Amino acid sequence: MLKSILSLLILWIGIRPYTINAVEYNLSEEQELYQTIPNLTIQSTFGEFQLSELYHQQPIIIAYIFTRCSGICYPYLLQLNDHIQQLNTQKKFKILVLSFDPRDQLADMQNLQKNYLMNTQKEWIFAITPDIQKLNSSIHFKPEWNKIQEQYDHESVLIGVNTEGYISSKKIGTTDLKDIQLLLKDIHNEFVISYPLKMTNTIMSCFTYDPATGKKKPALGLLILLLPAVLTAIIVGIIVLKNKKYHHPNRARL
Amino acid sequence: MASISLKRITSTWIITVMVLFVIAILFGITMRFNQGKLIQISPTSFYSIMTVHGLTMIGIWSVAGLAAIHYLLSRYLSIPTSISVFAFIFTVLGVVMLWSSAFIGEFHAGWTFLYPLPFKVAWKSWATPLFLSGLAVLGVAWLVWSVGILYQILKKYTITQTLGWQHFSTNPSIETPPLILISTVSLIGIIVCLLSAVVLLVLFFAEYFSNGAYSNDPLLMKNITYFFGHTIANETLYLGLASLYELMPEISKKPKFKTTWYVALAWNCTLVFILTAFFHHLYMDFVQPLGFQMIGQLASYFASLPAAAVTAFSVAVLVYKNQIRWSLSNILFFLGVMGWIIGGIGALIDATISNNIILHNTLWVPAHFHTYNAMGNVLFSLAFFVWVANDFSDLPVDSGIPKFIISLLVLGGFGFVLMFYLGGAMSIPRRFALYPPEFNNLSWLATLGGWFAVVYLISILFIFFTILKKCLKVFSAS
Repeated sequence: MLKSILSLLILWIGIRPYTINAVEYNLSEEQELYQTIPNLTIQSTFGEFQLSELYHQQPIIIAYIFTRCSGICYPYLLQLNDHIQQLNTQKKFKILVLSFDPRDQLADMQNLQKNYLMNTQKEWIFAITPDIQKLNSSIHFKPEWNKIQEQYDHESVLIGVNTEGYISSKKIGTTDLKDIQLLLKDIHNEFVISYPLKMTNTIMSCFTYDPATGKKKPALGLLILLLPAVLTAIIVGIIVLKNKKYHHPNRARL
Repeated sequence: MASISLKRITSTWIITVMVLFVIAILFGITMRFNQGKLIQISPTSFYSIMTVHGLTMIGIWSVAGLAAIHYLLSRYLSIPTSISVFAFIFTVLGVVMLWSSAFIGEFHAGWTFLYPLPFKVAWKSWATPLFLSGLAVLGVAWLVWSVGILYQILKKYTITQTLGWQHFSTNPSIETPPLILISTVSLIGIIVCLLSAVVLLVLFFAEYFSNGAYSNDPLLMKNITYFFGHTIANETLYLGLASLYELMPEISKKPKFKTTWYVALAWNCTLVFILTAFFHHLYMDFVQPLGFQMIGQLASYFASLPAAAVTAFSVAVLVYKNQIRWSLSNILFFLGVMGWIIGGIGALIDATISNNIILHNTLWVPAHFHTYNAMGNVLFSLAFFVWVANDFSDLPVDSGIPKFIISLLVLGGFGFVLMFYLGGAMSIPRRFALYPPEFNNLSWLATLGGWFAVVYLISILFIFFTILKKCLKVFSAS
């Protein structure tokens, strides 16, 4: 008995430093929308420039990573690359891969670009900025430093910026192809009729919206809308049938 | 011929409706005086009062209409009184539940209880299920009543006869009384919207009891909510019109209105269009399919024009250059038609998309629906109440017109809604406990509106006391 208690105690003491403290992320996809993104100084493989010079030419997607990430950053970048290639869109835009880690240098970003074979893809710009805190504050991005693992705990974030410098879209967490399609529509100022919430527990909607085609398709909810009229017709029909025996020609009189 | 039990239950309905009406008017005056800064109540209290005021008004004039047609249909067929009694008991229970949720539980999600507001609990946690249950009780009560009346109509008349289809032929062998035609059209519409309320409440309760496992689609919920709310408000107006068609010529000592092909056509069109006009409540929801917006625009025009045109024409022909025996009842009917048409024009203006962009959720909205309720449907029902109270006391049609009281009614009623129209024209938003700072200099409109409502209330109290004694007589009759 005593051995078991001691074992558990040792286990608990041993594991505890390695457990990741629950971090509360304050990010939300609705926050900061249509706010102007700070005009950062960007140091990239193409040289130094202001962020506004970039977005004035074409809308941009900012992918927020750090090179020493052992977590989500690399799979996330690869997934983003896959989605962009799958879409094979004609839309013009740039993807600015920006590090939020002050330790990252331009050489680190260049290596990242080379190792992940994105150096041949003209949409991709890998960069750092001395103004990273300004950007973090503007979008409420607060990576937590885990000193045991020497890693940042952070959400994966994509920020869509249109040609006027407005944050027109934010995607937080893992994204699928439809999310990227919506993001591209947003940064190109195309009207998006619906942003379906990522909920699997809404079983009835009036319609489903496909961002790829921009078309709506009727869904089960529309039948629910018709249900009262159908039920009424059934009730009236039953009453009429039940009362048929009472009806003879010329029975009803004023 | 109405039986004594029918007279008694109708009398009970009348007294209950009038008492609740007076209280609900007082709630309305409180709200207007708060907006005018004559008094000060907390926003929570304001919205609780607003929730109760709206639901009570719609509810009492719905049951008043049902009680009226139940009574008048006894001239043509037999309808069990028991369904009226059943409805009364459960209506009282439902009202108690709703008022308790609002005044004790502080539920204040508005009388439209638009999803997801009932679940954003800024009140006692039990208030939401109590509120929804109260609505369920009312819905069941009125559904049973409506189906019961329709059952008896269809027992005597075939479905095509009730809808007057034989009038489209040259020599119809059977004449459908307008009362039967309009009652059938209204009851079918009421049954549809009460069933939509059932669907709505099922969805609400499903989410409530799922503990987060299930959530509703807000667009679907909004569509169903307005399908129910808009439709029932209009169908109860038509119940009042049914009383008008049956009684106004009779009271005026003129030949009864007859169903002709254009009357039958108008009301058959109304049956269809009134069920689709509710889409005009979602014009500003850009996510709504464009086809629905178009249906809402067209149906809003088509729903109102036939019934209004035919009714106004019939009433105009009745009174124009004719010796009318005017009494309180037919004056109320006549004024009601005026109010209905004025409010209807206000509604059509707002139901036009290009106008709705400006008027949406301004005071124009309560302006138009208070016009065709307070100065429309309410007057139709009051006319019936006055007439039936005389019937109870075996008195002839009331003689003498209390001109002073009619003047107060007109002044108070139209003055009250005028303040709403002016506020709406100046873009004051609706459903604000206090006007936003930009409209501080216009709060006098609310104060003046409140005083006009006081004048209106005085006239209502006079009418109430006029009929109360006569209604009570029926309980002592053998």
